[in-house]
Amino acid sequence: MQQAKFTFKRKLKVFLLTGCLLVFSGIMMSSSHREAPLIANDPLADNTDLYAFRSPDHPNKIILIADYIPAELPYGGPNYNSFGENIRYEIHIDNNTTTPGDDIIYRFLFKQTNQDPTTFFNIRLGKQNLYTTYTCEKSVNGGQTFTTVLSNGVVAAPNIGPRSISGSAGLNVPDYNTLITQSISTASTGERIFCGPADDPFYVDLGGIFDLGDAPRQGGKTRDGLGHYNVHSICIEADISSLQKDHKSVDEANNILDGNFVIGVWASSSRRATRTLNSAAGGSPFNPLGGGTITEEGNWVQVSRIGMPLTNEAVVAIGKKDFWNALTPYQDLANISTFGNYFYNPELALYMDQSKFAGAVPAFNALRIQSNSLKQFDFRNGRNGLYGLKGSSGLTGTALDDAIFGTLLLPAAGEPRSVDLWPIFHTGVPNLRPYQLATGKNGNPLAAGKPFINNFLPNGGDMLRLNMAVPPTKRNDPKFSSLGLVQAAVLGLTDPAYNGSTSIQSIPNMDGFPNGRRLEDDVTRIELQAVGGVVLAAIGLWYDDYTPGNANPVTNQLINTLQYSTGVEKNDTTFKQTFPYVQTPWRGTAVQ
Amino acid sequence: MKRRKIYAAILLAVMLVNTSIPLFASSHREAPMIANDPLADNTDLYVFRSPDDPTKVTIIANYVPLQLPQGGPNYYSFGENIRYEIHIDNNAVNNTFTNGDDIVYRFTFNKTNEDPSTFFNIRLGKQNLKTTYTLEKSTDGGVNFSTIVSNGMVPPPNIGPRSITAAAGLGAADYNSLISNAITTSTSGEKVFCGTADDPFFVDLGGIFDLGDAPRTTGTMPVDGVKCKNVSTIAIQVNIADLQKDHKSVEKAANILDADYVIGVWASASRRKIRTLNTDGSQSYTGSWVQVSRLGMPLTNEAVIPIGNKDLWNSLTPYQEAGLGNYDVFSSSFYNPELALYMDDSQFGGAVPALTPLRIQSKSLGQFDFRNGKDGLYSLKGNPALAGTALDDAIAGKLLLHGPAQPRSVDLWPIFFTGVPNLKPYQLATGKNGNPLAAGKPFINNFLPNGGDMLRLNMAVPITKRSDPKFSSLGLVQAAVLGLTDPAYNGNANLEFIPNMDGFPNGRRLEDDVTRIELQAVSGVVLAAIGLWYDDYTPGGSPVTPNLLKVLTYNTGVNANDTTLKTGFPYEQTPWPGTCNCNGTAVDYTQPAVLQPTQDPMRLAAPEVFISAAPNPVSGTANLRYRVSVESNVTIQVMDGHGTIINTLQNGRQQAGTYNVSWNASGVPAGIYYVNTMENGVIKQSLKIVKQ
Repeated sequence: MQQAKFTFKRKLKVFLLTGCLLVFSGIMMSSSHREAPLIANDPLADNTDLYAFRSPDHPNKIILIADYIPAELPYGGPNYNSFGENIRYEIHIDNNTTTPGDDIIYRFLFKQTNQDPTTFFNIRLGKQNLYTTYTCEKSVNGGQTFTTVLSNGVVAAPNIGPRSISGSAGLNVPDYNTLITQSISTASTGERIFCGPADDPFYVDLGGIFDLGDAPRQGGKTRDGLGHYNVHSICIEADISSLQKDHKSVDEANNILDGNFVIGVWASSSRRATRTLNSAAGGSPFNPLGGGTITEEGNWVQVSRIGMPLTNEAVVAIGKKDFWNALTPYQDLANISTFGNYFYNPELALYMDQSKFAGAVPAFNALRIQSNSLKQFDFRNGRNGLYGLKGSSGLTGTALDDAIFGTLLLPAAGEPRSVDLWPIFHTGVPNLRPYQLATGKNGNPLAAGKPFINNFLPNGGDMLRLNMAVPPTKRNDPKFSSLGLVQAAVLGLTDPAYNGSTSIQSIPNMDGFPNGRRLEDDVTRIELQAVGGVVLAAIGLWYDDYTPGNANPVTNQLINTLQYSTGVEKNDTTFKQTFPYVQTPWRGTAVQ
Repeated sequence: MKRRKIYAAILLAVMLVNTSIPLFASSHREAPMIANDPLADNTDLYVFRSPDDPTKVTIIANYVPLQLPQGGPNYYSFGENIRYEIHIDNNAVNNTFTNGDDIVYRFTFNKTNEDPSTFFNIRLGKQNLKTTYTLEKSTDGGVNFSTIVSNGMVPPPNIGPRSITAAAGLGAADYNSLISNAITTSTSGEKVFCGTADDPFFVDLGGIFDLGDAPRTTGTMPVDGVKCKNVSTIAIQVNIADLQKDHKSVEKAANILDADYVIGVWASASRRKIRTLNTDGSQSYTGSWVQVSRLGMPLTNEAVIPIGNKDLWNSLTPYQEAGLGNYDVFSSSFYNPELALYMDDSQFGGAVPALTPLRIQSKSLGQFDFRNGKDGLYSLKGNPALAGTALDDAIAGKLLLHGPAQPRSVDLWPIFFTGVPNLKPYQLATGKNGNPLAAGKPFINNFLPNGGDMLRLNMAVPITKRSDPKFSSLGLVQAAVLGLTDPAYNGNANLEFIPNMDGFPNGRRLEDDVTRIELQAVSGVVLAAIGLWYDDYTPGGSPVTPNLLKVLTYNTGVNANDTTLKTGFPYEQTPWPGTCNCNGTAVDYTQPAVLQPTQDPMRLAAPEVFISAAPNPVSGTANLRYRVSVESNVTIQVMDGHGTIINTLQNGRQQAGTYNVSWNASGVPAGIYYVNTMENGVIKQSLKIVKQ
């Protein structure tokens, strides 16, 4: 697999050396809760979401948040969820495609003790059962060696209720947030770290969307299927210079899309290969010692991973989900024959295509993939998209040029989304033609336009890619939007503050998904819009109802796509203004 | 071993006994290890005579706790590589050290993906993770099994109307038709259903596990923590004659407390000893089967066994539990239960205000103290007054008066481990004339002294109609109340049917409020029922004292299931659909109207001409179609990549209208060509055509 990466990287080196920048923005459906058959049955190791964004209050730092254990009921006692023992929870960072594999790995290992084994309550008289602590180890050499950077980190207790937290028979602390504050630690290498329960920042109408794509619901009220549930979050605040491949600080960036400031992030969990259930010894009198215990041994085997949200939930089909969870991103390219087509011809696209099953999914009526963009390009499943341009001189110098990486972006006929969905998930998008906004292109999508993204880190694996040089959008900026980069594109195309030139400007929300992922970003909506072709439109491959030559590309179909929403557009509560940003976990007694 | 002999001796003494007792709320996520293995987590067990078919007993074992109905895309179901079992002991005489089961039902499940190309669970009539099962039955203690159901069907998850009834989904009439279709009859006559159902259990999880705050005292309203949640249920309906040890039908019972009709039921889940995670994302299971979850009486492992012993408890069979001997780490949790600490002002009673109405007898009849660490009835040990009672050492006194400072060895322990015989002192105070050791009015006999935690049902006890005004979710506690206070029953000490004698802990009906009953029992309500009244009783006065009334009216704030039950098998209600409006949070959203595509601008007169080409890329002839909106001079020319005009397809004045021209590209080299469309000499459109 490293071989595959190497070959690919070499291919791309040519590209990198030509000094290209690229641009993209692309996308797919809704995070990763219970997303594959096997991991759905192992909640402790189930990686639900990954976020990577520039800290809004400390712009020289990056926040990485990996969430585990889906849909925890706040009142799920008497044994409330926590991070599991015998599991390696890891956050991986690739910042350099010329070095094989991960450049930085954070590994978290948890341990549980019962401070009072005589009670069935979790917390009583200042003591806590299943009291959880952790060690954080860090590797900066691709996982060959690890150094402990935090020992005896404390995981905040479950937020059971007022008696357990603040009562004198409980922990007797002033409030739950005290426990959160107390559990934030600083690693010996400088990162601030929090591991603990939190409100699940993700939001999605699970009930509607998995009822054959009924989002927004066509009958009945939309609901946030994760409202009032918790997850367990691992949050890291790291200096940009500690993540940048040459340890440069962000002020040293050439510009806000400096390709040297791109990181690819993914998270995983692994378990030991062999689990043995021990039974009590027989004989008489019966000796129960050893019964009810588990031995875990053998190699570590990855059982869950996440990079881009929703890859394994709504892109990869059920037959391959368990396999996907077992691979690292560095193995993705070697398995492109298995997984590539889920992106080239995604299942979701069938439901946005009148010639396929669109009629069966009325909730997606607003989303219709370009079948005749610029009266010639058809991006529906099985069609050729831009493949007809293969080899043409018009592609010279663009990312679609075979000499650059066209063999990946235009691999074959009948794979229309190889130019947008596939690279968004697997390489990031360079600031290079045609991946610039249509602004300034004068009707030719292949022409140079206005830059809006460069999170190009072409290792071929599914990762969340963030260009750390892109300035953070203030959360109170009136232009802040949960539509992330889609909104940046809209502004770059339509807002007079930005659409008058092709120069690089900081457009609000350029720091949003899929350039990293902020807690606020509505990734379900963005990914559905992306499957609906919005990225293609942004770069000038307008919807069918646009007539070339017309001055106004904002046609009704584009408006429909931009207005499309699943109905659940924000989290069910706020976020904290400061680290760890995720909100206090819902209290067991406070939810209905 | 020693104990086992004692159990046999007790049985041979042909005891009858009588009690009623209980402890806390079922078994959801009750032990650390099993909480992390939801598929094998046994949540509840119910055993009751079928209200619509009194010759049959219904046994329901539930698994997979707190299923969110919206928990897709991989909805909950039974797991593969797990043995789900229901065990029945109907004869304590033939028990061996390792096994006492007389009947075992074993369910194993299999899943297939009918359409592995989709991430949806149900699409176009096909279902992924479609689950079927095999049911095997053993009647020889688990040595041999015969298959009695093959290819049993588990209905799909109740995802929502589109998946279940729409044409793009299964196209079923409704979800209940899927349930009906899934009910099957085994070759040995049992009616069987395996599928998802509303969780019939009810409990304020949030309050009760916040240090026992049920009913809540901290200002929030109680919430049924399992409301709108589903479980995976195994339901079987069996002829009483098939369960009775001598295959007798219920009419042959000597009376409604005939000891020969007692069954002990427990359920379990087992996994293979070794699980291997393979690097391709699959898993292998090998080795012998190891029990990972079990359930008999509700709440044993949830609120009686402390955390340090919960995993061990799950790994044992009730028969192994009975044979623990010196390793018995469980009985003490019944002799001196943790919950009793919170009902005792000399311990932590003050720290749990919700339980204030519950105060254990510290001075019953002026002398008996049942608080933890006190002696209870142990001071009577060896007293001739015990002769002929269950507390007589010659009968069961060695177990029931097991030692000093084990006060609840006379009530809580036997309710969980042996059942209660219809024998002094386990009869209602009615007719005892103030002496708890005297004979009183019988109200229970579910005595099956095998020494293990089981749900014990005397199948001879008649059914209380669910529509009977005296039907009560307080089960046997209410039967005792009626037997003590209702003139219809309290005028004599005869054996007669009292409503709710068929209720928990004589078996367990779906309606029974076992949390409330068990909390009342910990606070001594069973002791009171047999005449060991609360501290505020004065001899000669009414035994229905304020303290007793406080205990009887105590409730957790959640007293019934969040929905109804069905009147016929499988009784549990249709599972909540994923689209239901009671999980997650409501969102206000109004979908904007979907706009019609923008009109072709040619109809709007700008631009005036417009051209398209097909096919493109082209190898032979490209057909060009263009539209002229106002009469103009139209020129259409084909240029190569260098800008050289190689064809002129149209040049002249044209009326408004749609025109077709073709360009034969077969003679030109592969590459990009441009078709320029000019109106009145001005280029209006440049169309790119790729020659392959």
